[in-house]
Amino acid sequence: MTATRTQTSDGVAVNPLRRGLSTNRIPDPCNIVFFGASGDLMKRMLMPAMWNLRLDDILPSNFGIVGFSRSEFSDDEFRGAMRKSVDEFSRSGPAKEPLWSDFAQHLSYISGDFDDVNCFHKLREHLEKNDKELGTGGNRLFYLSTPPSVFSSIIEQLDKAGLGPRDNKAGWSRIIIEKPFGTDLDSARALQAEVEKVFPEKQVYRIDHYLGKEPVQDIMALRFANVIFEPVWNRRYVDSVQITAAETVGVEGRGGYYDNAGALRDMIQNHVMNLVALVAMEPPVSSDADSIRDEKFKVLRAIRPIEPGRVILDSARGQYDAGSINGKPVPAYREEPDVRPDSNTETYAAVKLWIDNWRWADVPFYMRSGKRLAHKNSEIAIRFRSLPHRLFGEAGDMLDNNVLVMKIQPEEGISLRFNAKVPGPRMHIRSVSMDFNYGTGFGVVSAPAYERLIGDAMRGDATLFTRWDAVETAWQIVMPVLENWENNADESFPNYSAGSQGPPASDRLLARDGREWQRI
Amino acid sequence: MSAESKVDASLESIRTELARNPASTTTLNLIVWIDDPKRRDWIVERATMLAEKHPSFTLILDNTGECGEAATVTTRARAGGGTLSASQGERVELDVSCYDAPKVAEYVETLSRSGVPTLLWWSGMKVGSRPVFDALLPHADTLLVDSAGSVTDERGLRSLVGFRRDHPEIVLRDLAWLRLRPWLDMIANFFDDRQSTREAFTIRRLTIASGSAAEALYLAAWLASSLNWKAAGPDTFSDMDGNRVTFSREERGEIRRVQRVCVETETTSYCAEVTDNPQVVRVASEGANALEPRLYPLRALDNASLLERAVLEPGRDTLYETTLATVGTLLG
Repeated sequence: MTATRTQTSDGVAVNPLRRGLSTNRIPDPCNIVFFGASGDLMKRMLMPAMWNLRLDDILPSNFGIVGFSRSEFSDDEFRGAMRKSVDEFSRSGPAKEPLWSDFAQHLSYISGDFDDVNCFHKLREHLEKNDKELGTGGNRLFYLSTPPSVFSSIIEQLDKAGLGPRDNKAGWSRIIIEKPFGTDLDSARALQAEVEKVFPEKQVYRIDHYLGKEPVQDIMALRFANVIFEPVWNRRYVDSVQITAAETVGVEGRGGYYDNAGALRDMIQNHVMNLVALVAMEPPVSSDADSIRDEKFKVLRAIRPIEPGRVILDSARGQYDAGSINGKPVPAYREEPDVRPDSNTETYAAVKLWIDNWRWADVPFYMRSGKRLAHKNSEIAIRFRSLPHRLFGEAGDMLDNNVLVMKIQPEEGISLRFNAKVPGPRMHIRSVSMDFNYGTGFGVVSAPAYERLIGDAMRGDATLFTRWDAVETAWQIVMPVLENWENNADESFPNYSAGSQGPPASDRLLARDGREWQRI
Repeated sequence: MSAESKVDASLESIRTELARNPASTTTLNLIVWIDDPKRRDWIVERATMLAEKHPSFTLILDNTGECGEAATVTTRARAGGGTLSASQGERVELDVSCYDAPKVAEYVETLSRSGVPTLLWWSGMKVGSRPVFDALLPHADTLLVDSAGSVTDERGLRSLVGFRRDHPEIVLRDLAWLRLRPWLDMIANFFDDRQSTREAFTIRRLTIASGSAAEALYLAAWLASSLNWKAAGPDTFSDMDGNRVTFSREERGEIRRVQRVCVETETTSYCAEVTDNPQVVRVASEGANALEPRLYPLRALDNASLLERAVLEPGRDTLYETTLATVGTLLG
């Protein structure tokens, strides 16, 4: 614990008073620029996250938050709007004085077009002024929370205005890019080409908020911080893996976006594929960002490409019809605002994958995601093989396979299903469940994913962000399905009722293999 | 029936009840010793909050009364939430005013859940409680104390330094230290800016106002061990280059609370001071690296979160151990 006048490998002096204080060091002083600051994500998630980071003392003392959007706001109007969003959506409740007023002094706003370089020159002057007045040290974090269509333009203007890392001699420049990263393989590659002209990969943080969820991070802890799971985590003991991301909500006012995206692009290509990688990866050599991301990438590379001729056998799609959720009637997808009345966009996607490597050969990975399903439920279910020989149980007893379920949302925890003897003189066997719940187990509430991820990006920790090679490979995996579905309308749409378990085609996908889905 | 036999009978029924309970997810034995009537309710309330949040077995050993007919034992269980149907937390309150140390230790031994760590929260003030402390210590994996619990001078810290010397094997937690965490962050924050990081090595003066000595001594010792200062007397350090650093402390405000910390470097002075709102600290600076005044939230004070931190942070806290050793040097 003794002090020396040390520096990090990049020559930055280390604050000697930070040693031993926390594993989560306070980030460097910096400005965070939110593009799309008048949007819904900013209001519901990003500003409440910034406020809670401040309350939890995770923000540095010298920071600036700059909103940038097309809407006309004065600084004070922006502060007022942000206060309203905190009051309404922050997990810590309404903002309190005098802390809010102090926090609000760090908030400012610039109105401008995303393709107007003059606005970006104005932004640069503003950031330089903040550096002087707020002591933000030239460090800049740009957060693209705009529609994807303007990502390239913003990056280009940042570069033209001298706001890229190349021109920033005083500090660091990083960029957070919201999903979706591209709408298909070609557009993702085109976007990446724009990104890498300005930002080196180490300064790019492709956000997938699923990865910031505590139970997702716990997948690695479960696997690599326990000895009992890893020996059975392979083809010898695992029968199949099911990954589910089910929602009860519809398109929630995003019909225009969603109708051009669909479940495969919106969920499977990013969130679900990241979960596959975390479940299937080999132990990383260390816990640093690149070691973990290397192993995730290796899993994606090992996924067998889906041959065009097999798409119909290895995937299923659906679109919801009118139905009821929690007893309330909801409209069909095609009746949602901004959705084409003859839309062929899938609101449900299920895909079967094979990972061709030593550990997972012949173990199917079933993925599904859908809207307006019976329950909100995201989970990973590892289903183990059947008993080699049935010793116990009477004729009518069901001897279920062991299933380990990692629950991601809304419940957060782990559940293990196993067989046990029913008390009594006879050898009846019944399936029972042993549950761990984060809330009761640790007595703490997980911080929302955005808080964790923004804090990590400010600290320069990219572990929970997706690297380009993984994004590109995930697109390569889903492209055959995407192309098949785009070229072949599904005449059965709508093919599942809102509030149901999904389309029959999805059940058939597993039934062909003699399996069935976990109930949502 | 004597008080002792009444309690024994009650405990027997508790043991039977605990044995009959369905499998629970107890992760901790929390043993709490209280012998100061003025702090009893405060401690019980916090232990209860902890027990309600965490799946633990809590045994409150209450020595605040007189031995007599009124000696009692009570037990409470809380049903688990979520998908767990098993009991999540059991709490036994035991009036131990009639018992000697071996008897108390026996109760702890027989009632505690096996296979889970035991945290002993010792809030003992009476000299006569020492034999019980010695008897309970072998049962504890972690000892939790509050060196600023009810004394404003440095007695609590002195005895803690002595304890550390005699029992290096026990994991030690001090609420007085845990309470300081927001202040450590705030002071470290003075020097987070890359331009001023090196300035930490040029501190020349440190002034701390607090309601009890433990806070001031801990903060000074933490700075000293982090910056490699050597204690040159009760109010003077010398830094790595041999420069003198003066340290002054003032007793001000409520016990267990820091009021103000000022640090002067060669070029800038930084002060953090509690405002009229005790949950808000104002940080101001003057000099070459001065910044605009800021307000900081002062959270996690006076609530069960300190206890949670003591429970949840596993293993030894090397920062604390180093700081406590420096406190020992400061106190001579």
